[in-house]
Amino acid sequence: MAAIEITGVSKRFGSVQAVSDLSFEVDSGRVTGFLGPNGAGKSTTLRMLLGLVHADGGTATFGGRRYADLDHPSAEVGAVLEDASFHPGRSGRNHLRILAAAGGHPASRVEEVLELVGLTTAAGRRVSGYSMGMRQRLGIAAALLGDPEVLILDEPANGLDPPGIRWMRDMLRSEAGRGRAVLVSSHLLSEVSQSVDDIVVISHGELRARGPLDQVLGQAKGGGTRVRAEDREALAAALEAAGIEFSSGEGGALIAGGTSPEAVGAAANQGNVALSELVSVGRSLEDVFFELTAGEKE
Amino acid sequence: MKPLLLAELIKLRTTRTFYALAGVAVGLSLLVTVLTASIGDTTQEDVLNDVFRNDASTLFILILAIVGISGEWRHRTITSSLLAAPDRIRFLAAKTLAFAAAGALLSVAISISIAIVAYAILGARDQPTPPLGDVIELLGRNVGVAALLGALGVGIGSLLRNQPVAIVGILIMVFVVDSLLGQFAPGVEVFSPTGALPNAIQGIDPSNIGMDKVDFLAVVPALGVMLLWIGALYGAGAALLISRDVE
Repeated sequence: MAAIEITGVSKRFGSVQAVSDLSFEVDSGRVTGFLGPNGAGKSTTLRMLLGLVHADGGTATFGGRRYADLDHPSAEVGAVLEDASFHPGRSGRNHLRILAAAGGHPASRVEEVLELVGLTTAAGRRVSGYSMGMRQRLGIAAALLGDPEVLILDEPANGLDPPGIRWMRDMLRSEAGRGRAVLVSSHLLSEVSQSVDDIVVISHGELRARGPLDQVLGQAKGGGTRVRAEDREALAAALEAAGIEFSSGEGGALIAGGTSPEAVGAAANQGNVALSELVSVGRSLEDVFFELTAGEKE
Repeated sequence: MKPLLLAELIKLRTTRTFYALAGVAVGLSLLVTVLTASIGDTTQEDVLNDVFRNDASTLFILILAIVGISGEWRHRTITSSLLAAPDRIRFLAAKTLAFAAAGALLSVAISISIAIVAYAILGARDQPTPPLGDVIELLGRNVGVAALLGALGVGIGSLLRNQPVAIVGILIMVFVVDSLLGQFAPGVEVFSPTGALPNAIQGIDPSNIGMDKVDFLAVVPALGVMLLWIGALYGAGAALLISRDVE
């Protein structure tokens, strides 16, 4: 059973259909990127998953159970939502003490997660004096309080500086490496491409693509194989003979669009052409994202 | 429920608003006590009413409770609160109990402070003092009313998400509406949870607070009606909280 199962969830706010019949799964031990332009329905989906927003239809469960039905919610699921808010007059440490008490976690865990996110020295200060990056770290500390098996992070890199983003990336990979299921929504596509195993792309509340990152990139239009040989004409003839369409690339290379390296290699072998380069050239996540979301702005 | 109650009590203790309002309540109560005990003479019959009945905790705990629940929406901490406690009925119950307990504690502190100061000043001035048993009974009534108003405030705040509107509304209710009802609709005022009912439970004489026309209920019926109010507001607040989307 998948760690997170979203099946046919829908949500309408007035005249706006925010999410429509959305289904996907998130497996343990993997980082899943949840992508979509602003207003695509990502946050609404995450809030439905966490029981904060009532779905009009469908189910969103963790191991088959709704968030509200979990025995110890904060010990099973940790969440950082985009607008994670804190009482401005309360210190970071006290914010965590409250959540630790409510979740039944030991008070010692507060210091552990503060250390983990690098906020120990600032923990006694009021949150109103925190930078956006510090608030993000505090939100992540709150999510980690119960050492949960599932992590949900909505735009976690917002406000983080480059070292913070790197820390975030390493943290996500580390948590997945420990067998946790990690679902992370982000608009920082370059970050996502370096951090995730799987992606789910939505637009206008509807699913546009899902699956392992490589697979989604490979399936997208425009992917292909870059191939090069000393005898360029012989290579071109071999590709033509195999019915493979190609175009000229940089430096004398040929680009076989929509064709795998295996097929190109086989065609070259058939034509007795010695290759000097044979590389899969997928499109960037950004290209694929804009294609899947029909060019909507993020 | 115990972890949620503990969390709510930590919330109360970790904001300046609580200490500021509690400090004002204690200061105001003691100031009035010092003045009434120091100025003029009193009699054995009137000393309890004149000097010892200055516990101002009730209004302040009512406001604190409204601030406590509506602040969850204002500061958007409702999200993290409901992630930690997805059962919204239990969340609201924990908050209700926490503010009832806070009201009781605040009232105990104020009532004991008033008693110490009043006995000291009256004793020094050779003025009559009430029997300790009467003062303890008064303390019990004050504590009970403060606890009830703490719970009532959570119920009111759970229905009104807009904090300023909720606070201004309750002040208008206490200082304007209750007075008007006392004058022009005493039969209605007798059931007011912010006016006649708490005063009846505290054993206050209607004529001492300008409500001569209001025939206060006896303590037990007043307590029963007050609990009905709290139950109704809690039920309505819980229903609203359950139906709301936390966006």
